[in-house]
Amino acid sequence: MGTSKVTSDLLRGNTDTMILRLLAEADRYGYEIVKLIAERSQGEYELKEATMYSSVRRLETDGDITWYWGDESQGGRRKYFRITEKGRATYARNKTNWEYAKRVLDTLL
Amino acid sequence: MSDKLNEYVDGVFAPYEGTKSVGELKADLLADLQERFRELRAEGKDEATAFDLTVESIGDIEETVQEVSNLSRVLERQVVTRFDSSALQGTDFAGVTARQGRFGTSALRGSNFANADLSGSKFKSSDLGQTNFDGADLTDAVLTTAELSGASFRRTRLVRTDFSMSGLTDVRFSDTALTDVLFRKTDLKRTVFERCTFTGVDFTYSDLRGLNFDKAVFTSVKFDRSGLEGISMRGAILRDCSFRGGWSKKYYKALATVNFEGARMDKLTYAALKGFGVEPSNVTVE
Repeated sequence: MGTSKVTSDLLRGNTDTMILRLLAEADRYGYEIVKLIAERSQGEYELKEATMYSSVRRLETDGDITWYWGDESQGGRRKYFRITEKGRATYARNKTNWEYAKRVLDTLL
Repeated sequence: MSDKLNEYVDGVFAPYEGTKSVGELKADLLADLQERFRELRAEGKDEATAFDLTVESIGDIEETVQEVSNLSRVLERQVVTRFDSSALQGTDFAGVTARQGRFGTSALRGSNFANADLSGSKFKSSDLGQTNFDGADLTDAVLTTAELSGASFRRTRLVRTDFSMSGLTDVRFSDTALTDVLFRKTDLKRTVFERCTFTGVDFTYSDLRGLNFDKAVFTSVKFDRSGLEGISMRGAILRDCSFRGGWSKKYYKALATVNFEGARMDKLTYAALKGFGVEPSNVTVE
């Protein structure tokens, strides 16, 4: 986990795309998103709640995701996030851009 | 411990209260933190460690709150209808749109707001006796310290509506889903709730004595330190409800008089009641 600032900025810069990726698979609620990111990165990247929610708000304002109340059988209600068609397009574009940047960086670094 | 988390989050958000989106962010965050905390406890972490890890997972929330509140001010800014301190008794407002309307300290007795969009409107300290709010949208509306006796709320949209400390004698709520509605420090002894569901409703410090909540559905409802003597909750469904009376023996004595005959409740609510020495019989625990 002891990563440099550059690494963590780079990761954080891709939060929107990470969230879009998770939502492209299924509708999910807040804690589920941070938990899945920790799990899939095997603890290498811990997305903070604050970063996740600021990303979610941004995606919402841009029309990439929407939300709805889930009906929870037990415990409190949860707000579920769902990707829109526009969000899927954004994800595909970001992913392509990343592949491209990665290729270029690999030739330069 | 969940109180401690509540307090912590309250503290972080205190300077930014007021806008709807900040309130939403706070609620979302708190739900996440509670789940994380429960999971950490289930993994065997002690309370203090679980609390620290949970708080740590928040990150820099102040920046997020500021972003969200700036964003929301742009989105929520709109023309404000001002009727402050005016005399409008018996006025017909049926079907109007008066989002963020200002009706504070106004005389509106007997007015008709049926099917009006009043979301975010303020009716603080107004006289709203015998007023008709049937079918109206009162999302985020503030009706605190108002006089509402005899008012009617049928199929009204009540989300985060605040009725705290208002006079609700003979007020009738029917066929309404109350969501995150606040009734703090409110006298509800003579209020009627018919075919209503209660989600996230806060009855803290309110007087509910003798009320009939038969067959009502309560999810995440707070009955903390409220007057509960003689309440009937026969056949009601209770999930994630909180009954806390602090050190008040009177509270737990009153709690023991609540009729839970045939009620269904989740294990948490049941355990909470049992922990306070109240062991309701003839209930289904699921």
